[in-house]
Amino acid sequence: MKYLTYIFRNARRNPVRTGLTVASIAISMFLMMILTSFFAALQEANAATKQFNRIIVMNANGFAGQLPIARVRQVEAMDGVVSVTPFSWYGGKYQNQRVLFAQFAVDADKVFDTLDEYDVPPEQLAAFKADKSGAVIGPKLAREYGLKIGDPMPLQGDIYPVDLKLTIQGIYQAPRNTDQRMVLFHFEYLDDQLRQLGSSSGGSTTQPSSAAGNAGILFVKCRDAAATASLCKKIDEEYRSTDFPTRTQTEEAFGQMFSEMMGGLKNVVYWIGTAVVISLLFVSGNAMAMAMRERTTEVAVLKAIGYDKKLVLGIVLAEAVLVSGLGGAVGALGSKALFDFVDISPFTGGFLPFFYVPWSVALTGLGVALFLGFASGVVPAVIAANSSVINGLRKVV
Amino acid sequence: MIPIKYNVRNLRVRWKTTLMTVLGTALLVASSCILFGLVEGLEHSLKVSGDPLDLIVLRKGATAETTGGFESKKADELLTLNGILRDGDGPVAAKELLNIPVAERLSGAFNNLILRGVEPASRKLRPEFKIVAGRDFESGKGECIVSQSLAGAYKGAQVGGQLVFGEKEKYRVVGLFTAGGSSAESEIWADLKDVERNTGRDGSVSCVQIRAAGPAEFDQLRKEIEDGAQFRLAAKPEAEYFATQSDASTFFKAAGTLIAVLLTFGAMFAAANTMFSAVKSRTREIGTMRALGFSRSDVLLSFLGESLLLSLLGGGLGLLATLPMSLLSIETMNGNTFASVNINFRFGYWVMAVALSMTLVMGLFGGMLPALRAVRLEVIAALREL
Repeated sequence: MKYLTYIFRNARRNPVRTGLTVASIAISMFLMMILTSFFAALQEANAATKQFNRIIVMNANGFAGQLPIARVRQVEAMDGVVSVTPFSWYGGKYQNQRVLFAQFAVDADKVFDTLDEYDVPPEQLAAFKADKSGAVIGPKLAREYGLKIGDPMPLQGDIYPVDLKLTIQGIYQAPRNTDQRMVLFHFEYLDDQLRQLGSSSGGSTTQPSSAAGNAGILFVKCRDAAATASLCKKIDEEYRSTDFPTRTQTEEAFGQMFSEMMGGLKNVVYWIGTAVVISLLFVSGNAMAMAMRERTTEVAVLKAIGYDKKLVLGIVLAEAVLVSGLGGAVGALGSKALFDFVDISPFTGGFLPFFYVPWSVALTGLGVALFLGFASGVVPAVIAANSSVINGLRKVV
Repeated sequence: MIPIKYNVRNLRVRWKTTLMTVLGTALLVASSCILFGLVEGLEHSLKVSGDPLDLIVLRKGATAETTGGFESKKADELLTLNGILRDGDGPVAAKELLNIPVAERLSGAFNNLILRGVEPASRKLRPEFKIVAGRDFESGKGECIVSQSLAGAYKGAQVGGQLVFGEKEKYRVVGLFTAGGSSAESEIWADLKDVERNTGRDGSVSCVQIRAAGPAEFDQLRKEIEDGAQFRLAAKPEAEYFATQSDASTFFKAAGTLIAVLLTFGAMFAAANTMFSAVKSRTREIGTMRALGFSRSDVLLSFLGESLLLSLLGGGLGLLATLPMSLLSIETMNGNTFASVNINFRFGYWVMAVALSMTLVMGLFGGMLPALRAVRLEVIAALREL
């Protein structure tokens, strides 16, 4: 411990260099945090859904396929099921613009029993259930467009040849790591309009017979965790040989599927992260080597008055780890604090429903920074420890 | 004016420091270049997909072919319109039907693919459509062809493989195609009739692609399809259609720019670090130069030049490192259609511009403070330094 002062003094000796090294590590670490959090936050949000014991039923051919609405009641009757709601993607336009917020046709009576973490004040919920063309929207969406209870929210069909004239009856509140920009409305409202069209000519997701009666996907709340696995199997068995075979998975696996779709993008993000780490190694190693070259004489003096190799090695390494750790702390913890404080989701055009730096990522970043310090300090430290005392004392820098 | 040779020698004498700085900054420049190469590839695929004389016909109000279906009857009438370019095989226009099945990647992950049921003319409506392996499919035999870039990523997508989607859809892969880097390179093509039958969607199409005979016919066709009582469909110029599909590229560009800016700052500090140490260890030399009569601005220019030289080495190396990336193609999800999209790395103006601006910023800003410090040195004190 008595050497700490010496180490700190050394780090402070050339404040410009130390400052630049810390800054370059901090900035690069900040970038790494952004890149890795993008996927880690998604994953964490997925894992958080575990506690709700929900499973999601979709057409085996993907969400472009259909599920008949009659299945909602069939699944509801199964043992271990608490409640079921359809979740039918409307994908409409708002103010005749393509928008990047999700709109789903749901069962108004069941949806907030199924999605327990989404809360709507009781009087708003009652109003929503009572108004057939009512809608409940997310708090961020309300803020972005300045919408409040009672406002109309007309949507124009894109997939479906029908428009919706919705009235906002409620605004839900939900945890930070959920989609806070959804529009939820009555399934019957959309379905009745589609039925009136008779045999419509739907898009790629619809049968020519009629676009009506498509539940999209089903959100199923199960009694307990034990029931989820068996229900996944049971539902798929049930519909195996029908026209609409299903693929049922836990909500966590369903979310994972989305993140897997990113495929190659994930790899690119990881390559860039790796490149940044390696280049940091060069940068901080370089700075450390420069620092050591300046101190050849000092190291020789230390050894001449009887300090052993190990100590010299330790002192140099400790300094490298200190500087790099400082940069890591600023970058990793700073980015965490920043995104906890500032919500950037409105600026991503709906691409990111939420963004934050999970603790696991921030701490990993800090660990990487400490490792970087160690790795970049090793070579200069070994050289310093093994340098010849005579030459060191003779050398004038 | 201090000869540039002086700076070159300096970098050579301190080769370890120079090498580390160059490698570090090169990696950062290369990362940014790769990002922008992908953005450029995405934009290119949207740009070449649209021919100025091509129209894409969708249901009114629809914004994408994945959602814009209408009746086959109307589509058949469309194909008989005057003004459509004709060649030996008839009109250059095609009904197409899209399906978005789930397929398994080689890595075991799943993704949605775009399966397009096409007619013979569809091939002429894509830029540089070529079969590069195997053969084209024959209609009515349950065969399909796969884009070359998809073939390497999905199970059963190689020639001789079998793609199975759900219970009813099975296609034998008989060939691979390329289409000049256009959006078709993210698709699987099969015979329109097969797709209709397998998906139970006879009687509807997703879109009709039309090539007009000339600019005048183009306008007239558009008017007739959009306003004629017979159709009431949306006829979008293809170039315009693909421009609206580029939301994803806007996001990528913004994200890419942010990342590039951060990387530039990181690289700038690294270059500055090296230059500061160069100035510090050459205090005496600077004093000597001033004593010999070189002016302050000479010294400033010399050190700025050295910093630029250093970052040019880094930037140049980083740019070189991206050359083999032309073979890189990533497959990811299109945020609009939730279906697979292939992005090929493209070495274009953007990449050059990013590399150049990163290099200049790095060299100038990284070198400015150290160079100023060198200029501000007192001659006497500098000569006294060890």
